[in-house]
Formats: sequence, structure tokens, C-alpha cells
Amino acid sequence: MIIEMITDEIRKKIHAIVGPENVLESDLDRFVYSYDSSFVPLLPANKPEIVVRPLTTEEVAKIMAVAYEYEIPVTPRGAASGRTGGSVPLQGGISLSLDRMTRIVELDEKNMMVTAEAGVRTIDLYNHCAARGLFYPPDPASWKFSTIGGNVAENAGGMRAVKYGVTSDYVMGLEVVLADGAVLQTGGKAIKNVTGYDLKRLFSGSEGTLGVITKALLRLIPMPKRRGTLQVMFGSLDDGCATIHQMLQAGIVPTAAEIMDRFCLETVARHSRIDLDPAVASCLIIEIDGEDDGALATQAKQIEAVAKKCGSIAFRAAGSEEESEELWAIRRGLSSAVAALAPNRLGEDISVPRDAFPEVVRRIRAISEKYGLTIAVYGHAGDGNLHPSVLCDLGNPEEAKRVHQAVDEIFAAALAVGGTLSGEHGIGITKRPYIAQALGEAGLRTLKAVKQALDPKGILNPGKIW
Amino acid sequence: MDKATDSALLQEAKKKAGQCDRCGACLPVCPLFGAKDVELSSARGKNAIARALAEGGIESTPDALAAVNFCLLCRACVENCPSKVRTDEAMIDLRQFLVERTGATNAKYRAVGGLLKSPGLVRLAAGTLAVLRRLGLNDLFPHGMAPDEYTRAHFLAAFAGPAALGQKAPSADVTVTAATKVAYFYGCGMRMMFPRAAAETLAILQTTTRVLRPDNVCCGLPHLAHSLRGEFLALARKNIRLYEDADLVVSDCASCGGTLKHLASFFADDPQWRDRAAAFSSKVMDLTEYLVKVGYTPRRKVKAALTYHDPCHLVRGQGIKKQPRDLLQATGKFIEMEEADTCCGGAGSFHMDYPAISAKILGKKLRNIERTGAAVVVTGCPGCLIQLTKAAKSSGGKFKALHISQVI
Repeated sequence: MIIEMITDEIRKKIHAIVGPENVLESDLDRFVYSYDSSFVPLLPANKPEIVVRPLTTEEVAKIMAVAYEYEIPVTPRGAASGRTGGSVPLQGGISLSLDRMTRIVELDEKNMMVTAEAGVRTIDLYNHCAARGLFYPPDPASWKFSTIGGNVAENAGGMRAVKYGVTSDYVMGLEVVLADGAVLQTGGKAIKNVTGYDLKRLFSGSEGTLGVITKALLRLIPMPKRRGTLQVMFGSLDDGCATIHQMLQAGIVPTAAEIMDRFCLETVARHSRIDLDPAVASCLIIEIDGEDDGALATQAKQIEAVAKKCGSIAFRAAGSEEESEELWAIRRGLSSAVAALAPNRLGEDISVPRDAFPEVVRRIRAISEKYGLTIAVYGHAGDGNLHPSVLCDLGNPEEAKRVHQAVDEIFAAALAVGGTLSGEHGIGITKRPYIAQALGEAGLRTLKAVKQALDPKGILNPGKIW
Repeated sequence: MDKATDSALLQEAKKKAGQCDRCGACLPVCPLFGAKDVELSSARGKNAIARALAEGGIESTPDALAAVNFCLLCRACVENCPSKVRTDEAMIDLRQFLVERTGATNAKYRAVGGLLKSPGLVRLAAGTLAVLRRLGLNDLFPHGMAPDEYTRAHFLAAFAGPAALGQKAPSADVTVTAATKVAYFYGCGMRMMFPRAAAETLAILQTTTRVLRPDNVCCGLPHLAHSLRGEFLALARKNIRLYEDADLVVSDCASCGGTLKHLASFFADDPQWRDRAAAFSSKVMDLTEYLVKVGYTPRRKVKAALTYHDPCHLVRGQGIKKQPRDLLQATGKFIEMEEADTCCGGAGSFHMDYPAISAKILGKKLRNIERTGAAVVVTGCPGCLIQLTKAAKSSGGKFKALHISQVI
């Protein structure tokens, strides 16, 4: 039961800080700030007591000072596109929506860095930099609508992580409002920087539990001049995975390498009415980039040779933008094609050492059979991050029980092969039960010590991670 | 409506909205979210409300009705949704449900719906508007409901070049023979607001065939959109009956055409009307769709630079994007505008219910039109044309707004 704690006096203070027009208090307004894109049940709703929409760091600092004084829970929120409940205001209080903070403060072309406020959409940041020939590589699937603040707070990944890494690999500095309202500036434009603890890394992926990220200084790289897409079909999943390993060992690094199993291919084929060769058991979609068409052709040839050695049965290189789109369409259409198969889809996000990919997929297949549940497996094979999707009807209590058991076993399988609970979605609410198992007792104690030091009153996004 | 039907509507809405996994892809594409960026404006928010209403999380209150009424039904969210959640249809279901449940009087829509139900009253209203226009009093009407009409005559006087033939629009794979019975659907918007544009449509149609003109009634969209489903179904039956003899039904209104093409789905469970409705829907065509199919050549080539605004009910409602552009390219210098397929903020009576938000959305449209430098913005829907006429006026004469039949 949430205890209402925001008195008229506090309300008045909040109104004075951000202006009454930037405070939402009606029942419906609070309801629509109660969820995110996770499978945390919509009902009973985790409604905030109040939604506050600051425009500046100063306003965020003042709100935090009020929250600190009165010990009100604060849950930072970007676009609420997260998959694990990170922005769900689990204990009521303030939903601190940073979506009005949309300024790109500076594009420093000489140092190849950009400074952006938390509410800037990733796509807008990408386009802003691309117009100057600079490339911000992290591309979470939500990049068209998620925000930089959210990306940093969840340490979002994406398909290009194989070659370019994840969000935190680009964070050079952060502006963070701490629990008591103090404003911390950490990191900076100096490439080498070992002055003190690496706090920017600590805050990246902290899921709003340690502070409110208000600005990020991000590193950029020159925009690759050419991109190409390849599609390779295999008679088994292992052959597809082996191709990726051998490619990387040979020094051929694609920007993205996505794998889909037979079940996924059949689903998309049915959904989009495409014919599928019965011999195909897995499909790799590979994106490569380079300086010019010659560089792409060389890479494509090398990849084709490796794939052939690993037993590929079909190879296709896109000859044009349109063909490239066509090859990607299978992967892009997957999520909705899979979702259409059942009333609910529990999309998980485990991450394993690259070489354990085929093994963990085999284990998931076994779990799927054991519980009589359909589980679609696809993911970023290039970096070992996969998204098993359990298709189910959670409205059926008996089935819901089996689903939860299956999910438990999927996590256990990931840990057993040396992997982890989450590659890019975070822990939030949905993976809390497994955190101790993943981190160990000392690991969890260390996390809690950090939390205690930075948020002694426990007001920042309470109820998350553990 | 009885309780059972009324909960069936809620279940329908829930089924559609339940497909939403709340990812947020709809937020940046929603024109309303662009004008008022709070979660309640978004499709995601409305779908969550639909589910919570059905699952007992929120009550059927006037606030909930206001929230689902605040939607343009423009389908931008549907098109961009990874799961293609039909939010617009869910909102129509919910509006009906909430009106029944909250006992909202719905008086304004009942009044408008009542007017549109009667062909006599529609004609009368059209007459009144013509008189007002002649007297120059149409500015007295709020929200541009009595728009100035810029006619083909004005347009030709300004832009007509030598009366040479333009190039032919792409050839048709359907030939309309002398035996094909082509009927015109005279929508209320065209009749009341833009009768001269409708006359141009007829003139164009008559160059292709002999046109049947049954005395049709309203397509029913205003009723459907505003919780008068019973009236909508009655009008639909009347129209289905009226056009039973026609082989093709051509509409020059995107909203009428879109509605008529989808009638079949509303009678899917009605054994008596199912087949007749399906037969009717399958013969409805938009004017531009028909003209491109029959290989129509624009009457005159003009020198004007033209740009085009996609009506929601044409581009997303019917998937018609290419045909109007082909026709305009064959007529003058066509310039594509940015965000041509973003809603203009008209959306039936939305612009009267939410004038400030609508004006904000139209402001963006106005800037996009101006950036093309085109002299005329063309569209295929009287609802949009009301908005675009307002935009043309506030541009201070930089461009004019015309229905496509007045241009080609």
C-alpha cells in the first residue's frame, strides 16, 4: 500500500519550482505515468502521486532538495520505453519526467564530442551529429523514441554493439543531480582521465537509483562512409554461430550480426508471406561498414568464405539500399510477427559469452519442451546477447505458473554457461529475484553499500535492482 | 444500446489495445503528442486506458471519455506501431462505450449527427453557406467552418498556361467500358462546404463515363466517431441499398471513401447484410484512384507549382499516396512537402472541440507548405480543405488551397 505523502505544502513548493502547468496530478494523468514497456502488470497501477516535468538542471536540483527534505520517492523517467520496469514509480511519490529537457547543448567537432540533455531522443542526437559527419553508434531498438538520459541510465546496447560497443563506451562525462539536490559534474573532454573513481561508469546503468542524470557528454567517431548488408542461411544454428566466431577471430568485425532460429524464420515467413527453403535452420543478417565500396566487397568476400567453410547453404549481399532494407525486413518484422502469435510475450534479455551462444540456445529449446511453451530465440549473436521470447497467455493462471518457472530456468541456464541476467535492458523490477544468484552475496552487498552512500534516505527509484 | 452490446464494445477495444506492448514508438509520430507532449495525448496512454477500463483499473468517467475523444483518428500511430495496434478503432469503440456508460448527453454531436442524417438539411446548410459566402459573412463563423472558397475559375485565371495536354497519368489495368456503371458519392462535407469543387469532380467524371447520381445520405463517419453507432449503421444500410445497381462508387472525399471502403467490417456478424456490405465496400474508389485506373489526362496543364497534403483517411485509411501525386505531376510543377502525410489537425470536428491544439498542428503544416514555395496546396478531403483554407488565409496569400478536382 502506497502511503500518500505529498501534502499541500509540498505541492505548493513543487508548483513554484516547475510551474503548475508542468505538474500533472489528475487520476488519469497519474495512471498513464504508471507503466513502461516491461511486462510488469499494468494493474494494479503503480501510480505516482504526482508527475513533475522540469526543464532545467536547476529545477531538477530544487525538486530533489524538496524530495530529500520530505523523504519522497523519486522515479526518473525518459520515454518509459524500458523493458524491465526502471521508470515505474513502484512506491508512488514523484514521477520525474525529463522529457522536456531536449536541448543539444554543444557539438564539439574538434574534440568529436556532443553534450545533450537527458530528454533528447537518441535519433535526434544521431541526426544532429550525422549532419556534421559524426557518428553516435549506440542503436537500441528503441532509438527512435527513447531518450539519451534513459539510454545512459540503462546502459542501453543495440545491434551495432559487436563493433562499436554500448552506450557507456561513449559516455565521457555526466551531469547528475544527487539525492539531496547537489549537482555533480563528472568526467570531461580529456580522453585520459584517472582522477578519482570513474563515476560516469558507475552512473551508467544505475537505473535512476543513484542520481538523476541531467546531461551527458558523449564521444563520437567519424561516420563510416559505406554500409552493406549480407544475409547467410545455414542448415543449423551451430553453423551460424561458428561463422560469427571464426569471422571475429579472423579480424573481420561486422557492425551487427543478428541470428534467428528456424522458428523465428517460419514465423516471419508466415507473417509476411515469404517462401522459406525447408533446409534452412538459421539465418544470419550481417551489417558491415567501411571506407568505400571496395572495402565492403573485400569484407563480404571474406565473410562468404568463412560462412562457406562453416557450411552455409545460401549467401546474399545486398546490391542496393532497397535490397539492404529487404534483407533487414526479416529481422525488423520479427518482433511484431512473434508478438502476434500469443496474447502475451515475455521478452527476455540474457547475455552469454559468445562461444556459449549455441549451448544456451539448446538449453532454452529443452526448457521450451519441458514446459510445453513456445519460445522464440533471436538476438545479437555477434555479442552473445539474446532475446528469448516466451509466448504465452498470462491470463491463464496454470500457464502463467509454467511461464515463470521457464523464465527462472532460462536465467539459470544463462548463469550456468557463464553469462548474465541482462545484456541491455537492466534489472529494474522484473529481474530482481535473480540478482543475488547472479552477483553473489559480496557482489550484492557492494551494490547496496554504494546505494547507501549516495542515497542514504532511499528515495531514488526505490524498489529496483534488488 | 443495451448493456451487452456495450460491454462487447469494451471487450473489442481491449482486444485491440491489448496488443500494445507500450514501447512508445507512437509518441513521436502522434501529431497531438507533438502539440501537447503529455502521456495522456499518446496512443500508448489511450491504449493503457482501454485496458484499464476493461480490467477494472479505472472507472468510466467523463475524464476518461474526454481522454479518448482527444484523438485525431489519423492512424499515424497505427502505421508506425511495431505491432500495428489499431488505436483509432479502439478509440471509436471506447467513445461509444463511455457515452453509454457515463450517460454523457453528447448533445453537440447528436445535433450535428441529426443534421447530417437528413439530406434535406444538408442541402439547406449548403444553401445557407452559399448565401453567407456571397454576402462575405462567412468569416463570422467560428473555426473556419464556413471557409472561403477559392475556385477552379480563380485558379485557372491565375495559373493556366496554354491549353496543351499534360502528359498522361500511368495507364490503368482496369478499363471502364460504356457498360460500367459509375456512381458518384456526394459527401456532406463537399456538399456543404465545397459544392463548386464537387461540381468539378462531376465534370471530370463525366469526361470518362456517364455518371449515376443516387441521392445518397451521409457516410456516417461523424456518427461513428462520436458514439452514434446506431445512426451510423442505419445510414450505411441506406447507402448500400442506394448503390446496389452501380459497379463503381467514386468518392472525392477521403473520409467518406475510407468509411465506405470499411463498411463491410461493421456488418461481418450480420448475416442479412454481410454480403451486401462486402459487395458495396469492394466497389468504392477514391476519385484519384479511379482516374489513374482509367488513364485520365488532366484537362489543362498549368504553370503553377503544386504541393499536396495527404488526408489521413486517404494515405493511411486507403493506402492512396501515389495516384494524387501522379495526377498533379501531370498537371503542373509538383513539389513534395515535408511531413505531407501528417494530420492537418482538422479531423472532423476535432478542430472545433480543441481549437488551440488544432491551430498548433495546422501551424506546422503551414510552415511545411510555405517551405515548398508552392502556389497551391492540393488535397482530397473537405475536412482537410477547411484547415488548409485557414492556413492559406493566415499565410497572407502566399498560397491557395484547392481540392484536387479543381486542379486536374
